[in-house]
Amino acid sequence: MLKLGGKVIRIEVAGDAPMPKRDKALFTISTNAALPKPMREWSAYLMREADSQIPTGFAHYIWIGEEDSKPQGLDGLSVTVLPEDYSYMQDGDIIRLNSARGEIRVLFRKNSPHNTIMVTEQCQHYCLMCSQPPKDIDDRWLLDEANDLIRMMPRGTGELGFSGGEPTLFGNDFLETLKLTKSLHPGTSVHILSNGRRFADRRFAADYAKIEHPDMMVGIPIYSDDPAIHDYVVQAKGAFDETIRGILNLKEFGQKVELRVVIHKLTIDRLEKLAEYLARNLLFLDHVALMGLEITGFTRANLDKLWIDPHEYRDTLSKAVRILEDYGMHVSVYNHPLCLVNPDVSKAYRKSISDWKNEYLDACTPCTRKSECGGFFSSGVKYRHSGNIRPFV
Amino acid sequence: MKAVECVISFDPAAYSLDTIQRAAYRYIDKFSVDFNVKESAIECTLHFDKDQADHDGLVQDFRKEVLDQHLRARISKETESIRHLILAHAFSRTGLV
Amino acid sequence: MSKFLPPESYAASGAYDLLPFNFTRLEGDSYLATNMVGEALVMERDVLDALINKQLSPASPVYADARAKHLIAEQGDKSPAELLALKTRTRYQRLGNFTNLHMFVTTLRCDHSCQYCQVSRQSEDKAAFDMTPEIADRSLDLVFRSPSKAVKIEFQGGEPLLNFDLIKYIVGKARPRAVAEGRDLQVVIATTLSLATTEILEYCRDNDILLSVSLDGPHDLHNKNRPRPGKDSHQRFIAGLQAAREIVGFDRVSALMTTTQASLSRVTDIIDEYVALGFNGIFLRALSPYGFAVKTKSYAAYDTEEWLKFYKDGLKYIIELNRSGIHFIEHYTTLVLQKMFTATDPGFVDLTNPAGIGIAAVVFNYDGSVYASDESRMLAEMKDQTFRLGSVLENTYEELFLNETLLSTLEESFTLSAPMCSECAFEPFCGTDPVFSHAVYGDVLGRKPSSDFCKRNMAIFRHLIQLMQQDKDIERMFRGWVASC
Repeated sequence: MLKLGGKVIRIEVAGDAPMPKRDKALFTISTNAALPKPMREWSAYLMREADSQIPTGFAHYIWIGEEDSKPQGLDGLSVTVLPEDYSYMQDGDIIRLNSARGEIRVLFRKNSPHNTIMVTEQCQHYCLMCSQPPKDIDDRWLLDEANDLIRMMPRGTGELGFSGGEPTLFGNDFLETLKLTKSLHPGTSVHILSNGRRFADRRFAADYAKIEHPDMMVGIPIYSDDPAIHDYVVQAKGAFDETIRGILNLKEFGQKVELRVVIHKLTIDRLEKLAEYLARNLLFLDHVALMGLEITGFTRANLDKLWIDPHEYRDTLSKAVRILEDYGMHVSVYNHPLCLVNPDVSKAYRKSISDWKNEYLDACTPCTRKSECGGFFSSGVKYRHSGNIRPFV
Repeated sequence: MKAVECVISFDPAAYSLDTIQRAAYRYIDKFSVDFNVKESAIECTLHFDKDQADHDGLVQDFRKEVLDQHLRARISKETESIRHLILAHAFSRTGLV
Repeated sequence: MSKFLPPESYAASGAYDLLPFNFTRLEGDSYLATNMVGEALVMERDVLDALINKQLSPASPVYADARAKHLIAEQGDKSPAELLALKTRTRYQRLGNFTNLHMFVTTLRCDHSCQYCQVSRQSEDKAAFDMTPEIADRSLDLVFRSPSKAVKIEFQGGEPLLNFDLIKYIVGKARPRAVAEGRDLQVVIATTLSLATTEILEYCRDNDILLSVSLDGPHDLHNKNRPRPGKDSHQRFIAGLQAAREIVGFDRVSALMTTTQASLSRVTDIIDEYVALGFNGIFLRALSPYGFAVKTKSYAAYDTEEWLKFYKDGLKYIIELNRSGIHFIEHYTTLVLQKMFTATDPGFVDLTNPAGIGIAAVVFNYDGSVYASDESRMLAEMKDQTFRLGSVLENTYEELFLNETLLSTLEESFTLSAPMCSECAFEPFCGTDPVFSHAVYGDVLGRKPSSDFCKRNMAIFRHLIQLMQQDKDIERMFRGWVASC
């Protein structure tokens, strides 16, 4: 699993260096010693070995290695020393450095297909399996930073995600961010993760539609056809009803909607009935994603309520997929090791875990179908995973 | 000798004269009906055509028809708006209405 | 530290309203409840009583299901009404397209003399029974008055191929006109194939014409039902079928059977014939009470019970075939299943509400007469012109489609306004057949308790629901049939 953020070993800011926003700044990583001079003003030069020549004029320098093996040529410059965890960084990645707290966060990875911007940690929900537990703080600066990041992102980015917390809590300001994305990166497809409730407000849904983005989709979770269960899983009364109305408004205004279901012990019993409910009521959904459980965030605190070995529910999963496919809906199964699902879901099965969170077990080493497998969440490898992992031989 | 007529009564609280007349119309090829409307009863005198043999069967069927007509009228009235809505929708793009 | 509330904090309150639904007894204590778009729940009488009396507890396993299927809605929920409205709109969406199926009777001449034929066929050499180009032109004008984007022209007869020149004439005019108007035109010829020459088949191939052919069963049954000079109907059919598939295309040829007294004991043989000839489905039709069928009393010869046995045995056999790996469907069942599984009405003229007469289908007869449906024409052959809307030579589109009988029949036969139908849980799966009702009972609505149409269809609905209740695999199989259409 890639470490995307954490403490640096040391960060030093030279006297006149730019760290304007409360000791925070964004930099684009460069490994190009011949980078044109004007571009060095917002770039951080990345070094892994002691070069003979250190190029001048960069806003910041990054040394990955031990503090004491840092090249002397970096003395006096703005420098961040990082542990080996960050050696995956590449030219073109965008990072945030916080000199006051001594922290780094990799916000954008140029060669990854999975870039997602977290615009807030606030949320009205409190999902039992939330992978990004909400915080009740005013973190509007995250949205501001998102705008900065979008301005720095390279052209030609394929796909960009927005998530949180709940991105729509910032209302029109969030819509402005989407408009900015469209203007600066018209070819980039946008995927928003949202509980969808804000869209029950028709005016907001209409304003969202007015953006007229050529390729934008909202991914909205529904965990059961029974509102009592859905509301319990997301820990918010009335959530189901409002989410449905949000989806209906989005569709009325011609927007793309994906339905996401995380499968665990609380959602598995009515999964087939949920599939029928979606087919009868929301046939116009653009996509349905059935997802495996990530053992992170709140999941660990609620593991006894949530954990079920996917191997146990593989037949139910097959039936649910079959129902959705019979109705002609576009279905994907995400985040499941291949050996834990039945062959009949192969059409829907995706190799899907974000590259930075993906790992395999030792038992997987001889497996002949590893290249087709979605693998595990690293959190699963560490904390809890199926006892039924078997390599294909 | 078989009677060629028979008298049956209906409770006006249950059935209207209109309903009974509609039902009677269905049988004009088999019998004619005289109506005597009183406050407590609507009396119907059935005069059977010469070629009709099963008088009891016809009377029985006539009673069923009265119920049928009554319900048709009532339900038709109750469901008028949805019926017109759906039928209008059918003709909505023809330019005919 | 994070605080999570227990399920009880989010449980349903138990304070609910009823959404519009009907209920009908299935058998014993078991009831079927359906909402306006056919979403169904089976429950015992005592549970149904509690539900209706607003006393059903959220702890009951039925509660969440009733909510999800929009039979009840918790007070405060707003999405159920919105969703029901959306689904109801979907159910009736097709109506606005108005007439889609236009049948052209190009000739009454025929080389067969089928016992059950509703058409008073004339022998092959009387040209007085052919449609003229003038009538064809006028009829085409009316076809293109329909607001439907998708239009189907079906050639019938007699044997339509006996007036093939006119078919070419009509197709030659209709195709470019459809293209110019941006419409999707489908052309079908209903034929026995006995007279299908290579030239004719090549024309069909080159002009995207589909063929609907008659196959009543194995050769002895087929020939018995469909006499022909030479007694070789089945043989000619086989030769014609092969040629049609090879020239026009395998998927462009479908088969239709007619049920007679002789068919009733042979359902597995008939199905075997269809399977052996590579068809992927069969339509087990009821016998219609029209034309020669009534004259020769072959309608009166069997009753609904016998036919139901025929149907149930046939369906059972087809299910077994599916289990053994042969994908084969029954078409009438699939139409009903489509109404059970989706909010989309397949628009089958004989099983829909409002009735399909005029507003879904219309017939242009060889002599220019316009009939409200195929059955209406059959009725006319029995000297009952009730459903003749007029003539292409004398009447305008307005006069034809605002015909008084047509409009009053549509209203009077409307299921949602009819006694028994209006409260029947099967109503979303069913339909109304005013022409049948008029032909058999003398009025367009009929009395449902004594209606064969009602009896037959209710038995089918009960049977299908029972099969699916008893065996989830059959439910999945049935859903697969709908999916494959």
